[in-house]
Amino acid sequence: MRTRTVVLFACLLVACSKAADRGQTAVRVALITPGSITDAAWNAGAYKGLRQIRDSLGLSVSNIEARTPAEQEEALRSYARQGYTVVFGHGYEFQDPAERVAQDFPNTIFVVTSGERVRSNVVPLVFRIHEATYLVGMLAGAMTHTGKIGFVGGMELPPIKLGYDGWVQGAKAVRPDVQSRVTYLNTFDDAAAGKEAALAMIRLGVDQLHHNADAAALGVFSAAKESPGVQVYGANGDQVSLAPDRVVASAVVDLPRAFLLVARDVKQGTFTPRVESFGLASGVIRLATNPALEASWPAGLKGRIQAARDSIVAGTLKITEGTTP
Amino acid sequence: MTVSTRQGELRRDISQAIGAFVVGMALLALFLLVAGFDVPASLTALWHGAFGSWYEFTSATLVRATPLIILGLAFTLGAKAGMLNIGMEGQFAAGAIAATWAGLQIGNAPPLIGVTITLVAAGLAGAVFVSIPTLLRARFGVTEVISTLLLNFVGAALVSWMVTGPLQEPTRSYPQSSAIGMAARLPHLGAGSRLHAGFLFAVFLALLLFILLNVTSWGFRIRAVGAGPRAAAIIGRMPVAGIGAWALLWSGALAGVGGGVEISGVSYALYQNLSPGYGFTAIAVALLGRLRPGLVLVSAILFGALEAGAAAMQRDAAVPAVAVQVVEAVVILVMLLSMRRRA
Repeated sequence: MRTRTVVLFACLLVACSKAADRGQTAVRVALITPGSITDAAWNAGAYKGLRQIRDSLGLSVSNIEARTPAEQEEALRSYARQGYTVVFGHGYEFQDPAERVAQDFPNTIFVVTSGERVRSNVVPLVFRIHEATYLVGMLAGAMTHTGKIGFVGGMELPPIKLGYDGWVQGAKAVRPDVQSRVTYLNTFDDAAAGKEAALAMIRLGVDQLHHNADAAALGVFSAAKESPGVQVYGANGDQVSLAPDRVVASAVVDLPRAFLLVARDVKQGTFTPRVESFGLASGVIRLATNPALEASWPAGLKGRIQAARDSIVAGTLKITEGTTP
Repeated sequence: MTVSTRQGELRRDISQAIGAFVVGMALLALFLLVAGFDVPASLTALWHGAFGSWYEFTSATLVRATPLIILGLAFTLGAKAGMLNIGMEGQFAAGAIAATWAGLQIGNAPPLIGVTITLVAAGLAGAVFVSIPTLLRARFGVTEVISTLLLNFVGAALVSWMVTGPLQEPTRSYPQSSAIGMAARLPHLGAGSRLHAGFLFAVFLALLLFILLNVTSWGFRIRAVGAGPRAAAIIGRMPVAGIGAWALLWSGALAGVGGGVEISGVSYALYQNLSPGYGFTAIAVALLGRLRPGLVLVSAILFGALEAGAAAMQRDAAVPAVAVQVVEAVVILVMLLSMRRRA
């Protein structure tokens, strides 16, 4: 038995010594998502962006799901070691590990979506989704019968909180006496928890629901579909298809577009490390409405939303942080 | 028991474990084939991700194996005394919280002392966490399988509370703690490697548990209680409940240390999703290792290799990581079947 173990380990060592060094110069792009790419929102959008990078820029791509901090750092390091040119870490949680790993791999560009700091080869993409949630909130303020709106968040992260602020401020701009409720699930994966939170709000009289909870939000949509008179607003992607007769609009982060912009710059060699911040003006953040429900909008609302959009782009209308209860 | 039958038992345990593993891998190949993936390319990626180079073997496989070794040993210790600790995920979380707290307090202590304090705190937290099911079992006969399992959810909730409350980083924006002090961090083994000294510590723990279980009278009593509680009580005059309780406490302490090692060696800060289910995978690890510390070590490395390989399959061959979870599940089922046949 002992000899067998020794032989086994010897085999491992031999196998290990055959280090795989593959020098490649072509631009290669990798994506690490913190959750499933089938969430119809945040991670799905990133994956779509990666495929567009492959199809329209002709770059070779790879992706992986990494949920725990250990897996995320390992994935960053593995891709960098394999010589990937650009590695997208898709979420704020990649900021710290990317900074740690980036020191050892100066030739790889680490893009942290929703990150916050530039560090030589670590670049954040900032999405001002609150500019779109403000517009979505205006719609909710106009459409609500009960005067109560609800928001289901995945985690209490700065961009998500700011998105919530936009939603409430938009609603109050249209209907000042609107009452708002918010629940943070502490998960982006648990659709049952999302549904539970949404149903609890519906029981309290909420009839307009918005979210930023990725896969967990699928439960919000299913709760809305079961409850007559409840309408729901998508986030991160255009989510009309999840409930065509209930989704009034979505606050869209056009992730594919943002990813393509970065990858194109890298391919052309014109990329410079800086904070890439996208708002309504860039077209990456936008309001996607459900045409089938536009007939039910109150008169004059379309014009007001357009005016608010213009003011946000012009910088005269600002969403303030943390002022909402 | 004579030496030759003992060796015969060991040989049978090993061949059963290898059998379960081979069946699992065969089913993985079948699954890949049916799902329409390129089977040779996928399995090559799996192999490369786990053993392809020294870097892959140490920084991917062994880093993942480390918590599995420690938790596998924790389960082994409990199970040897007939206590099934299904709550290692929760004790791991408790240990991680305590290690983070200690690591944040430690300041500029000398590294050896800093790491020791951090891991002792983690072990204590694990023991405290498992003391509830231990008491419930000793006092009211509540089966530990249920109580430890339920406390897993409490452990996860505690971590959530900590990273949004008492241990949240100072800007109060993100659900995570600050990074622990340098003194509380386990050193890396080699430059550019992710492998940390916690792996050596885990190997040492395996050796220690082997000696304790097989050489000392303490270990003999644990095994006697596990093998036949009535016989141990009547013929051996052993305090069966007490021995079981101590085994469960130590099992929880070990699982807590596992959480501490993960903080101290890998993540350096507390996060909500720290464990990808180590506490449950480790049960499979311990079963595949037939509750023998040495084999648990090997089976933890195999599981670490499987998961590292799964990541590489996803990266390089676009196979979903779920495929490897199928293998792990099959391995557990085959092991349970072969154990049942023996019983």
